[in-house]
Amino acid sequence: MDGQFTVSLILIVATFSLYIGIAIFNRARATSDFYVAGRGVPPVFNGMAIGADWMSAASFIGMAGTVMALGYDGLAYIMGWTGGYLLLTFLLAPQLRKYGRYTVPEFIGDRYRSNTARLIAAIATIIISFTYSVGQLSGSGVVIGRLLEVNTATGTMIGVVLIAFYSAMGGMKGITWTQVAQYLVLIIAYLIPVIFMSLQLTQNPAPWLSYGQIIQELQVLDQQLGITEYVVPFTEATKWQFLALMFTLMAGTAGLPHVIVRFYTVATMKAARWSGAWALLFIGLLYLSAPAYAAFSRFILMTEVAGSSLTSLPAWTQAWIDTGELSLADSNGDGVLQWTEIMISNDIVVMATPEIANLGVFIIGLMAAGAMAAALSTAGGLMIAISAALSHDIYFRSINPNASEKKRLAVGRWSIVLATVFAGLIALNPPGAITQIVAWAFALASGSFFPALFLGVWWKRANGPGVIAGMLVGLTVTLSYIFAAKYGGFTILGIIDTGAGVFGATAAILTNIIVSLSTAPPTQEAQDEVTDLRYPEQVQYKNGEVWLKEE
Amino acid sequence: MRKMDPAKAEAYFKYRTTMIVIYLTVGFLASYLVVFFARGLSSITVMGIPFHYYMGSQGAVVTFIILLFINAIISDKIDKKFGFDPKFVDSTNQTVD
Repeated sequence: MDGQFTVSLILIVATFSLYIGIAIFNRARATSDFYVAGRGVPPVFNGMAIGADWMSAASFIGMAGTVMALGYDGLAYIMGWTGGYLLLTFLLAPQLRKYGRYTVPEFIGDRYRSNTARLIAAIATIIISFTYSVGQLSGSGVVIGRLLEVNTATGTMIGVVLIAFYSAMGGMKGITWTQVAQYLVLIIAYLIPVIFMSLQLTQNPAPWLSYGQIIQELQVLDQQLGITEYVVPFTEATKWQFLALMFTLMAGTAGLPHVIVRFYTVATMKAARWSGAWALLFIGLLYLSAPAYAAFSRFILMTEVAGSSLTSLPAWTQAWIDTGELSLADSNGDGVLQWTEIMISNDIVVMATPEIANLGVFIIGLMAAGAMAAALSTAGGLMIAISAALSHDIYFRSINPNASEKKRLAVGRWSIVLATVFAGLIALNPPGAITQIVAWAFALASGSFFPALFLGVWWKRANGPGVIAGMLVGLTVTLSYIFAAKYGGFTILGIIDTGAGVFGATAAILTNIIVSLSTAPPTQEAQDEVTDLRYPEQVQYKNGEVWLKEE
Repeated sequence: MRKMDPAKAEAYFKYRTTMIVIYLTVGFLASYLVVFFARGLSSITVMGIPFHYYMGSQGAVVTFIILLFINAIISDKIDKKFGFDPKFVDSTNQTVD
């Protein structure tokens, strides 16, 4: 046990106790607490909770690494993941809040007057959240693996136990306030190293202003080495792939059930709008820093690690080689490590950089605590979504409508435990890098929920058969494209698996419109409900007339 | 409950929808359009960074954040102008249980 291990462990245990303490203090006492936190969360705090819920291991651990590896092409993740909040806040969240349900499948079932649609939506929620949580668990595996100096698979198993225990306990109410704490931990952990690196490299404490200078130096270094230039666009994939990925991440963000449900925890449409704005501001703090992180890490690796002799490598390298995420091979046998001989996994760049930059044990430990906060908070939100789909939409609303609250909470908790363990088994041998797995979850959401919700809110003519056909076609097209592109080498305009959502969403929207128009329109009552979503809470639209309620 | 002038209700919806179309268009220009013309725009630099890279790493995100806050502020103003009390919380519209 070295000093680093002790410091990291103390920080992780301290932050964990904080979360568990908050969860116990806010324990779910009623169903509405469990699912929507009693609907009384103020927008600023809800913004932080959305931020933590939203920023997963992919954002925290994976994104800067992805930008570092892909250069300009990695920025599709930054723009896509933040741009989704425009679609969400402008087109969906306030209206969904006014409709007032517990879960996204419940909205779809009630709006479209179809139990089949609700069931498909519940299954889609489970598939999407499950795929997403595989990414989270494999992320926590990387962190725990490094911390305990065991391989990533063992780390993942430890993560499964922690996450299952933790998310089954609190429910939405506990999770909201825990997520506020987790947001603060993760953002502090992310910003401190990047600020220190900025000071080290540029003598300027604001990485957002100073990294331009490093980008310029990188351009010169790239030219000297004769390698693909960092800022040159579309070197890793086509322009169409960039645009398709960006769309997939945006539409997917707007359709992710575990994020949408966070907008149900506020009181009004007004609060939903403000929540969206605060959420993106808090998320922006991390997303604006990630490209700086990527540039600094690449610069340090290129100037300080590359070019040193293999016998005098810094001590941090060995620990990462042990986790299996880093390899340094002297392939030309000259005893000196060249830039091209460093194979660094996207997923460890953020975690390794404080060590690379020699920032000291405390900051490295803080990083580990921050990464765990990111993985835990998102996994918590995902597990609530899975559990709500199983216990509320499938069990309560389809199988056993007479179930007691206690029974439903029990079903909810057990589904969390089972889902986590099962996702953990897949995460032991993850089918891709964290950002890639997460991008698939977004592709599925953009192919199923985004069209169903968008048309459900804005087009009153959309009906049950339309949404059923739309979701099924959207899911099928997205899944087929992911498989065909990843394993079959099939692509259209160079769009690979991560950009599949653009086809899924298009197919789902077209199918929904065509099937809706060729079947009977929804009842007048159902259409009135949609018109009602145009107005704030105190306005009610009924039988062609607009009514103003008074307090 | 009192009846509201349908023309006023319609005007409210139109106004809100128009604003949303404007915000989304601005967001679209800052992201998709800049990406589409990325190569052409790389000769311009902002803070020493080629324009397309700057927009991807910071410009677009900052634009999105500003749009969301403008929307929240302006929507509150519109609500007030149309006489919808922003503090109003509807207790009858809670979810089915």
